[in-house]
Amino acid sequence: MEEPRVRREDADEEEDGEDEAGPGRALGKSALQLTAEDVYDIAYVVGRELMALGSDPRVTQLQFTIVRVLELLEALVSEGGLAAEALRLERDSLQQEVRALRGGAPPAGGQVDLGPDKMVVDLTDPNRPRFTLQELKEVLQERNMLKAQLLLAQEELLSYRSGLMPLRESVGGERAKEAVVTRARSPDPGKGEKTIMKKLFAFRSGKQT
Amino acid sequence: MAKKTYDLLFKLLLIGDSGVGKTCVLFRFSDDAFNTTFISTIGIDFKIKTVELQGKKIKLQIWDTAGQERFHTITTSYYRGAMGIMLVYDITNGKSFENISKWLRNIDEHANEDVERMLLGNKCDMDDKRVVPKGKGEQIAKEHGIRFFETSAKANINIEKAFLTLAEDILRKTPVKEPNSENVDISSGGGVTGWKSKCC
Repeated sequence: MEEPRVRREDADEEEDGEDEAGPGRALGKSALQLTAEDVYDIAYVVGRELMALGSDPRVTQLQFTIVRVLELLEALVSEGGLAAEALRLERDSLQQEVRALRGGAPPAGGQVDLGPDKMVVDLTDPNRPRFTLQELKEVLQERNMLKAQLLLAQEELLSYRSGLMPLRESVGGERAKEAVVTRARSPDPGKGEKTIMKKLFAFRSGKQT
Repeated sequence: MAKKTYDLLFKLLLIGDSGVGKTCVLFRFSDDAFNTTFISTIGIDFKIKTVELQGKKIKLQIWDTAGQERFHTITTSYYRGAMGIMLVYDITNGKSFENISKWLRNIDEHANEDVERMLLGNKCDMDDKRVVPKGKGEQIAKEHGIRFFETSAKANINIEKAFLTLAEDILRKTPVKEPNSENVDISSGGGVTGWKSKCC
């Protein structure tokens, strides 16, 4: 039986304070939601209640104090509001950035999700990898073959110089040398006259036989 | 064609971690010089040195490999033709010593079964920075039944001795052949074809 009565009282109170609905509501808000407007509303409510207390000098003194407190509250609330607004702007711009990164055309560099064994090659890097392991292998083989031939030729030259090789034999030697050159090339006839280095760097020599 | 300037040709190979001094060991042996600047070998290179053993002129064709992992597919293709392999570590670099078992496995996998192996602990002039005791090198060499030397390319310690010993070991098991039957087929892997012309 009591419960309904209490409810009715609540309702009555609400009806009573109807003209205060605007200003009074500010006091029911959470501190974080408070705006400068709410502080003005609170000032209005407090001022009215102080007035009702009459003109006791102690009340007047209290009024000054209360005004000061409300001023401080106003400053805090508007400062907090500005900070919140700044954070909101920052959040919006970050969200926009995230959307651009996720959605739109992949930004420079192509942020593709690569596997652990993949790598991205910067095509503008003059030092980027260009040749395959097989090509390197072939170049090294050819380098070493040419080095071997050079050493052989140097050795032969030395023997001519030191007079080990009689002049009569040198004619035959000349012929043999040609044979060496021919044989040296024969291992990779499919590659024709162009050496691997020349192929790789697209040089052309007009002096080939 | 020019008279043959040697009786036998032995193909040797240097392997081991990057920076242990393989190139310096070879450079000391072939040119009797030492260079302090570190230049990584690109893939594979070689040098030639002719020595005389037991009255025979022996041309040593010594292949120097890059220790870096990224060249391994290239370097391992040169194991096959090697008659002797020098496995080098750095006595101041524990990791290079730990990796010996890995290099020995590589030899088992890629080289000829009868290849002569040798272990070198290089940079032995840097005793103040030593982290691998000589005994550990000797022990692992003994376990695998291979020769061991501590060397220094910089101070020229044991370099020539190591190469000559390896060459002697190879010579010992090289059957005496007719000069013309030439055990100089070095085209395998190395691709050094036309290395020696057998003419007339």
